Amino acid sequence: MGVFDHLISDIRQILFPNAEQDAVPSMDGAFSPNDRLDACEQLGPPLPGADDIAVAADGTLYVSAGRDVIRLAGPAHGERSVVASFDGAAGGLAVHPDGRLLVCVAGRGLAAVHGGAGGAPQVQWLEAADGRPLHGLTGVTAGPDGRIFATVGSSRHPAERWLHDLMEKGRSGYLVGCDADLGAASILLDGLAFPGGVAVAPDKQSLWFTESWSHRVLKAPLAASSRLGPVDVVMRNLPGYPARLAPDGEGGLLLALVGVRTHLIEFVLREDDYRREMMANIPEAYWIGPALGGSHDCLEPMQIGSVKALGIQKPWAPPRSYGLLARIDTDGEVIESWHSRAGGHVHGVTAACETPAGVIVVSKGNGRLVIAREKSL
Amino acid sequence: MSMTTWNAMSGAARRFSPRLLLSELMMKQWFEPVIPFLVMIGLALYFAATIPDYASVANSVSLLRLFAEFGFVALAMAVCLISGGIDLSVGAIFAIGNFAALFFLLVLGWPTWAVIAATLAVGGVLGAFNGFLIGYLKARPFLTTLVTLIILRAAVNLLNGAYATVFATNSPDSAVWDFLGEGSVLGIPINAATLFAVLLVGHLFLSRSRYGWHLTAIGASRKAARHAGIRVRLILFAAYVLSGILCAAGGIFYAARQASTDSTTGVGWEFQALTAVVLGGVSLAGGKGTVWRAMIGAIIVFMLTNGLVRMGIPGYITSAVIGVILLAAVGIDVKWTKNRGKAVQKTYVNPAAMPLAPAPSVAAASGTPFAQNDRLIHAEAIGVDQVEGPEDVILDRQDRLYGSTRDGNIIRFSGLRFERREVFAHIGGRPLGMQFDKDENLIVCVAGMGVYGVKPDGEVFKVTDETNRTWYKLNDDSRLRMADDLDIGPDGKIYFSDCTTRYEMTTNTLDILEGRPNGRLVVYDPATRRTRTLINHFYFPNGICVAHDGRSVLIASTSLCKIFRHWLEGPRKGQTEVLIDELPGNPDNINRASNGDYWLALVGIRTPTFDLATRKPGFRLRMIKQVPTDEWLAPGLNHGCILRFTEAGEVLESWWDPTGISHSTLTSMREHKGYVYLGGLENNRIGRIKVDGADPAWTGYEAYWGAGRRDGR
Repeated sequence: MGVFDHLISDIRQILFPNAEQDAVPSMDGAFSPNDRLDACEQLGPPLPGADDIAVAADGTLYVSAGRDVIRLAGPAHGERSVVASFDGAAGGLAVHPDGRLLVCVAGRGLAAVHGGAGGAPQVQWLEAADGRPLHGLTGVTAGPDGRIFATVGSSRHPAERWLHDLMEKGRSGYLVGCDADLGAASILLDGLAFPGGVAVAPDKQSLWFTESWSHRVLKAPLAASSRLGPVDVVMRNLPGYPARLAPDGEGGLLLALVGVRTHLIEFVLREDDYRREMMANIPEAYWIGPALGGSHDCLEPMQIGSVKALGIQKPWAPPRSYGLLARIDTDGEVIESWHSRAGGHVHGVTAACETPAGVIVVSKGNGRLVIAREKSL
Repeated sequence: MSMTTWNAMSGAARRFSPRLLLSELMMKQWFEPVIPFLVMIGLALYFAATIPDYASVANSVSLLRLFAEFGFVALAMAVCLISGGIDLSVGAIFAIGNFAALFFLLVLGWPTWAVIAATLAVGGVLGAFNGFLIGYLKARPFLTTLVTLIILRAAVNLLNGAYATVFATNSPDSAVWDFLGEGSVLGIPINAATLFAVLLVGHLFLSRSRYGWHLTAIGASRKAARHAGIRVRLILFAAYVLSGILCAAGGIFYAARQASTDSTTGVGWEFQALTAVVLGGVSLAGGKGTVWRAMIGAIIVFMLTNGLVRMGIPGYITSAVIGVILLAAVGIDVKWTKNRGKAVQKTYVNPAAMPLAPAPSVAAASGTPFAQNDRLIHAEAIGVDQVEGPEDVILDRQDRLYGSTRDGNIIRFSGLRFERREVFAHIGGRPLGMQFDKDENLIVCVAGMGVYGVKPDGEVFKVTDETNRTWYKLNDDSRLRMADDLDIGPDGKIYFSDCTTRYEMTTNTLDILEGRPNGRLVVYDPATRRTRTLINHFYFPNGICVAHDGRSVLIASTSLCKIFRHWLEGPRKGQTEVLIDELPGNPDNINRASNGDYWLALVGIRTPTFDLATRKPGFRLRMIKQVPTDEWLAPGLNHGCILRFTEAGEVLESWWDPTGISHSTLTSMREHKGYVYLGGLENNRIGRIKVDGADPAWTGYEAYWGAGRRDGR
């Protein structure tokens, strides 16, 4: 990328100011920063690698963490037991209306787990759709008629190498649909910028999914046939990278954002030669990019605003990792949001689910579950 | 460690950058008329090439004679523009002056000196009329002088009609008058010579006299000038009187040269003069301009009019050309005035590639002397939340602890556990590096001020705040911008770093991001009270330490991540060599250790992404432009450490706080009686750790001035 390319990009920015991308929106209105996530009560001991959460019809919670799916039962979800273990990391989770547990297993595909209360659980696999593998599944959900929908973040990288996909500006994700018995799997939508999660809207009429790298939430009407209706953008230019969606129990949805966009990351995404060299020569942990949780390694990139002043880390410092959960209505308007800012300890929120006791939030960055008992409205 | 002499600082590293040159040029007041000046030269060359005999001496002299009267009128216009107003009646007053001179001479028959005095008085009175309306009655200059223009022009036409025949039939019989019309001084036409003299006086008046400054101040902001106590009304009045007198002076020379008057005398000159001075760079908005700029513009307009006529181009086209030029000049003037600061700002920072050495590993398991550990996490904390960013710390002979803080204070802790806090001295600025001299004065580097001293009783005195200016630099670098750290040689000379000459304390991050050798090593000699620059062009010199033997001085380069040794004595005197080439972070202060080694603080740790950015100047430039300041990439400033290294530059061990909880932005450390005290640029405390093997009796003062000296004096 020479001087000439930068000149052209400058000219393009002047001529088409809205063409390539939007400026990082400031977090205001319902996205106004707060410390609500940090104020939340932690649910049980830490759960390293916690990724997704699903609630069964009887109120039992399932959490994927590492290679396991864990059942949280009993009063205050205090009893933990491993339901299933896999060879790869267990990611997206959903409970099928018929009671099966749907698990996205990295490197393999979609597992449908039967029963398992008494004997060993039986696992049925879906490993390909239209001839393409399902190694990088990120989220799964089941429709009212039993049909199953799942998202593959990227066809170039496994799910845990999501940062590579972001830095390559990947648009190779796809949305897969199959029947309740895992048959007739097909790719419904292709060329998505890392779809991070999928959910059926509370009114059961449409399928919602996120596109993390293009900061959007989209929806498509659920048609009777195996196809989807036309896709609509519900939310665009979000301040963070949207991941999983879940019903909030009040007619809206909970939207987890795994990290927030910063000017520096957006800048690096425009600087092709710098990014290419960074990816080639620097270990991934030290890249300029969003992280799930801070490791406080001195070799991580540092920004001026993050310098501690008089021993204090400013909460408004440019965040490398951040915790953000939003509650949205079916028009895509944000109703309220929960934050854990720079220096907080509930970062990298990958999922959340509504329970009678409150919203349970999965912080993958800090490997813990917290429970938000109060909603603002 | 190889001892290679470091030459890159002076030559190759000081990479030429056209952008940098341009930005520094644009900051200069004198650069503004450069473009009109070049246009003037270009026009002269063009006409010389296309019009036969244009460049001949005879032609030049005759052109000068023709030009001078217009020069007076343009100067009059310039004075009014600088005052923030405008005088449209200059052409009319010029015509009145012309008429009056002839009238006094031919009709009243007065002697020449009386004619001159009376004509100037007429101009002055007419100008006073404008001045009274504008200065005292606060009338709008544009409308007021437009009205005077119309009235005076009508008056001239009436008077001309009445006296034309009288003027035509009489001829003056005065040698002095003829000299005014056709004489020369040293080969220069008398009117041009007078103009030049007036310009000289005018220049001194505008740029060197109180009233000239007042005039400019009023033009820049009338309200501010009034608040500053300037007599706005009187000065404005005087400006228009001056304008009238200058026009009348032009009229006298015109009368003497032409000895006739007609209805076209001075018609349209107000617009030509306006075009001229704006073209020359006198701002329409007021408050900015010099007599020379006015003259450059006047010469351009005059040459154009004259040259186009001689090329046979009809007069109305010439007028149109002048009109277009006025339009362009006004447009450029408005844009330039508004955007000059922005243009400078946009081009001022010019990142260059930095020749960084590879960074050694700091991984805990790496086995290098830099391997991370947690030896600082449990450092004893002194004065938590009682000091704001002690950049440097030092102890005196009475074991009292001093910290230089961001509020401009020197804070002193005393008592067995340093429980007593007091403000030892308030200097102001941003006190940074400190050292005690032989008389126990605390010498302090103060960013934004220079080098200051504090006597043991707390009295503050200035040591120095300037050094010799680099003759070839456009930026005046005589002032000390950001004195950072100092040390004192055995002979009492104070060696200190001025870490940047292009930025300030608040913007020094830009210097690091720019990555150019903008800093310097300066020495102050108390014997001669002279300050001079020892090494010019140094990459962000920070920590300074005179070696134990006093024969060399160690310099830490924060942006280049190296330690240098500059020889003060011996066979390599005057040479600078690299002492430590590869450091994993950005070095800050250096101080002596009791065993003959040195302590070094690393304020920041080099991150792979920042190192990559140092190799990509374009990336850094665009980052500065496109990304907000708070989000710029920085070295890892929350994870500092201190190191100990030998005289030969070998790093032995390191002390870390990998969490950054107790000691972030670690900038200094000072050994004292078996302990090492820690200071941080942005920290809220001073730390203290006990060091194994450190001499429990060793103090800095004794090592410099007492029995602990190792310099053999």
